[in-house]
Amino acid sequence: MNSQSQSQSQRRKNFKIEAFKHKVELDPKYAERTWKVLEHAIHEIYNNNASRLSFEELYRSAYNMVLHKYGDKLYSGLVATMTAHLNKIAKSVESAQGGLFLEKLNHKWADHNKALQMIRDILMYMDRSYVPTSHKTPVHELGLNLWRDHIIHSPNIQARLQDTLLDLVQRERTGDVINRGLMRNITKMLMDLGSSVYQDDFEKPFLDVSASFYSGESQQFIECCDCGSYLKKAERRLNEEMERVSHYLDAKTEVKITSVVEREMIANHMQRLVHMDNSGLVNMLIDDKYDDLSRMYSLFKRVPEGLSTIRDVMTSYLRERGRVLVTDTERLKDPVEFVQCLLNEKDKHDKIISTAFNNDKTFQNALNSSFEYFINLNNRSAEFISLYLDDKLRKGLKGASEEEVEVVLDKVMMLFRYLQEKDVFEKYYKQHLAKRLLSGKTVSDDAERSMIVKLKTECGYQFTSKLEGMFTDMKTSEDTMLDFYAKQSAELGDGPTLAVQILTTGSWPTQPTAACNLPPEILTVCEKFRTYYLGTHSGRRLTWQTNMGTADIKATFGKGHKHELNVSTYQMCVLMLFNSADGLTYREIEQATEIPALDLKRCLQSLACVKGKNVLRKEPMSKDISEEDVFYFNDKFTSKFVKVKIGTVVAQKESEPEKQETRQRVEEDRKPQIEAAIVRIMKSRRVLDHNSIVAEVTKQLQSRFLPNPVVIKKRIESLIEREFLERDKADRKLYRYLA
Amino acid sequence: MMSKLGRGQKDKVQQFMAITGASEKVALQALKASDWHLEGAFDIFYSQPQIRAVTDTTHLEELYKRYRDPDVDMILVEGISLLCNDLQVDPQDIVMLVLSWHMKAATMCEFSCQEFIGGLQSLGVDSIPKLREKLPSLRNELRDEHKFREIYNFAFSWAREKGQKPLALDTALGMWRLLFSEKHWPLVEHWCQFLQVRHNKAISRDTWSQLLEFVKTIDPQLSNYDEEGAWPYLIDEFVEYLTENGIVPSRK
Repeated sequence: MNSQSQSQSQRRKNFKIEAFKHKVELDPKYAERTWKVLEHAIHEIYNNNASRLSFEELYRSAYNMVLHKYGDKLYSGLVATMTAHLNKIAKSVESAQGGLFLEKLNHKWADHNKALQMIRDILMYMDRSYVPTSHKTPVHELGLNLWRDHIIHSPNIQARLQDTLLDLVQRERTGDVINRGLMRNITKMLMDLGSSVYQDDFEKPFLDVSASFYSGESQQFIECCDCGSYLKKAERRLNEEMERVSHYLDAKTEVKITSVVEREMIANHMQRLVHMDNSGLVNMLIDDKYDDLSRMYSLFKRVPEGLSTIRDVMTSYLRERGRVLVTDTERLKDPVEFVQCLLNEKDKHDKIISTAFNNDKTFQNALNSSFEYFINLNNRSAEFISLYLDDKLRKGLKGASEEEVEVVLDKVMMLFRYLQEKDVFEKYYKQHLAKRLLSGKTVSDDAERSMIVKLKTECGYQFTSKLEGMFTDMKTSEDTMLDFYAKQSAELGDGPTLAVQILTTGSWPTQPTAACNLPPEILTVCEKFRTYYLGTHSGRRLTWQTNMGTADIKATFGKGHKHELNVSTYQMCVLMLFNSADGLTYREIEQATEIPALDLKRCLQSLACVKGKNVLRKEPMSKDISEEDVFYFNDKFTSKFVKVKIGTVVAQKESEPEKQETRQRVEEDRKPQIEAAIVRIMKSRRVLDHNSIVAEVTKQLQSRFLPNPVVIKKRIESLIEREFLERDKADRKLYRYLA
Repeated sequence: MMSKLGRGQKDKVQQFMAITGASEKVALQALKASDWHLEGAFDIFYSQPQIRAVTDTTHLEELYKRYRDPDVDMILVEGISLLCNDLQVDPQDIVMLVLSWHMKAATMCEFSCQEFIGGLQSLGVDSIPKLREKLPSLRNELRDEHKFREIYNFAFSWAREKGQKPLALDTALGMWRLLFSEKHWPLVEHWCQFLQVRHNKAISRDTWSQLLEFVKTIDPQLSNYDEEGAWPYLIDEFVEYLTENGIVPSRK
């Protein structure tokens, strides 16, 4: 039977090695002989004599041994043989001198790998069948472990290897050129032996040594370098380490070594760097050192608290600088300059943040909060910003393109946003706008409108509704005048030409009306207008605002010199008196015109005491107006201009008493707003405690101004008095809404 | 009835009558109800609506006519002067305030007919001697916490000028001095001075009523005064004033 099956199997086409179906006793001597063959082969392989070996024969030998249950013998034989060879190799490596040590090691390693591969191939059957079942280490891994244990961890090699490697790194760090390829091979070898070998035998000591190296170096640098140079060096070292890793270290080492450099060179010296005299962060900011700042940003970004350190120092610098700016009395003398200065600071730091700080939003926020802080330190900021706008809209933006206008207005809007007291700004803006509109001194209607739109977008319709009303009044007035002249031209004849602006009370800033006596020629035409107007608008009441008008007068001086004078209404009243008298005393003028004293003095001063505009002559020739002065028509007045402007209706910085008055009006205006907020809140909440009311009211009003808690309390008490609210009977800190 | 009582009980009845001015009958009722505890008897007596002792309406009308102003159907200043004289009290005496409270008088220095007669009826008196006897018990009412508060708050509307919402400062100062000498408040003079110097305007009702709370809850050294306590702003300013002038220890 068996022989039949035997011949059957042999006749099959596929060549397959099959196990014998009956036990074939292998002669133990055979096993020993077979082993010897393999042992010899291993020797030859290690001696680089592998070419003469037959792969199939060896493979079959190994196969047979395993098959006949001599796997143990084979395996242990392998271990012994390899170990013996490795010990020889170890001695060889140990004996290498100096620089050749690494080379030898590298060389032997390469050899070992080649050998191992061949051995593994030969012993593949054992690897696949015997090794798993007997839970032994596979051949390749075995080969590596043996290398590790007998070479790398050999007492005479281990320390020397580490020292050699670290020494080479040190040399490279100090400027020498080393054999990077060799290094790479060695570190790769360590990695191949297992990442713990790499870490324990190389990486950990490498990191430790690097830490002390950089600790020392950074200490040295910081004593002798300025901040910018130090940072350059640090950056260079950082790049160097990264390059080192890419060339001959394992990739995972990169993050570890960079964090060592970051810690030693940057984190440990952050405060000292940032605050360095003459070269630290503040100096860089002042001098616009974009490169240095950019470098600082990217380096500090790598360490914890790095960016917040920069940000904090920048913030306190900005706040202090801002505080100095807004309290500098010299600078405050010129509001336009003052605001320009603020805008310049903003521009400067915006540029720093976008160029050097990567447009980092947290830095933008720090900039914004600093500006908000110091702009509000000066309670005239709102007024000054309005004056700046006034200057631009009156003349500064003359000839500017639409885009340029938008840019300027947008920048000013940024400052506006920082203001806490936006209602103060509104008051001044209204005043200044009124003057611009009424004197016809605006650079461009489009620019004005654009500004209104921006304010509306920022603050809502309420903020700008009155301002828009002012524009409407101007337009309507134009139309009214056209109609007036169309209908009345016959009656008016040769009288003075009138241009009336009809202002709706409530839209325009309230001015106390001081009546004055108009010259008869003017009075006549004014009355004609009044009749005409009230004819079409019967329910209304008109009041002449003599403190806000202008007039153009033709005047003839000595030698027939003719000039056209552009003056205020008050000035006109005074000058017309001189048609019937050559000289008048102060009191006579006062009596005739009934102009209020303060205004009259200002008016006379501008007519008599200003060089180039002195159409009147005063005796005595002092600078100030006293009530004893006498005024004469100045026959000798000359000017190279035909048209001479003497009017004084220009927006200017308020005097101290005016400022107090405006502030008082603002405070008065705030009271009803606060009350309205309280009522709104209480109506919806019904019952609320005191502190919550204060918080809610503040929140509701903060887009306009910051309400004072004491004022809020007073308003609450006023509302209690008027029976809108009452205190809760049980808890006196609670208030109730009374329907 | 009295003979059936023990000596201690008789004493208590006498005491009760002397202090409250009530009749023997009322005294016995109250003491029985309180199980012969004097304090309890007082509580019962004062918390019950005033017992209507028999009063003669005719007497009351006569009395009213005595004090009534010749031209107006009201008792005015002169009438009140006479009344005080008859009662042998100073018109500035605080007991007149308590009396006015009982009468629910609308304005100081005048009583309407209804106020006068109704008030005396509610007190259970119809003659000057009886009213005079009642005066000590009226004074005692100021010792009661609740009653004092009611009287104090009543005083605000009572002392006001007709048609005015706030209380004129001078009147307020006078009232405060009067009231806080009864219920002793060491800071009352400082308060008055402060108001004259720093405020110099009329006093709102809220300030008036809240001041009493302040006096009751905050100690004179202001150790437990809380800035977040929703006190009226005048009181906050008063605290500042006291601190600035070193009258109380500085806060922090």
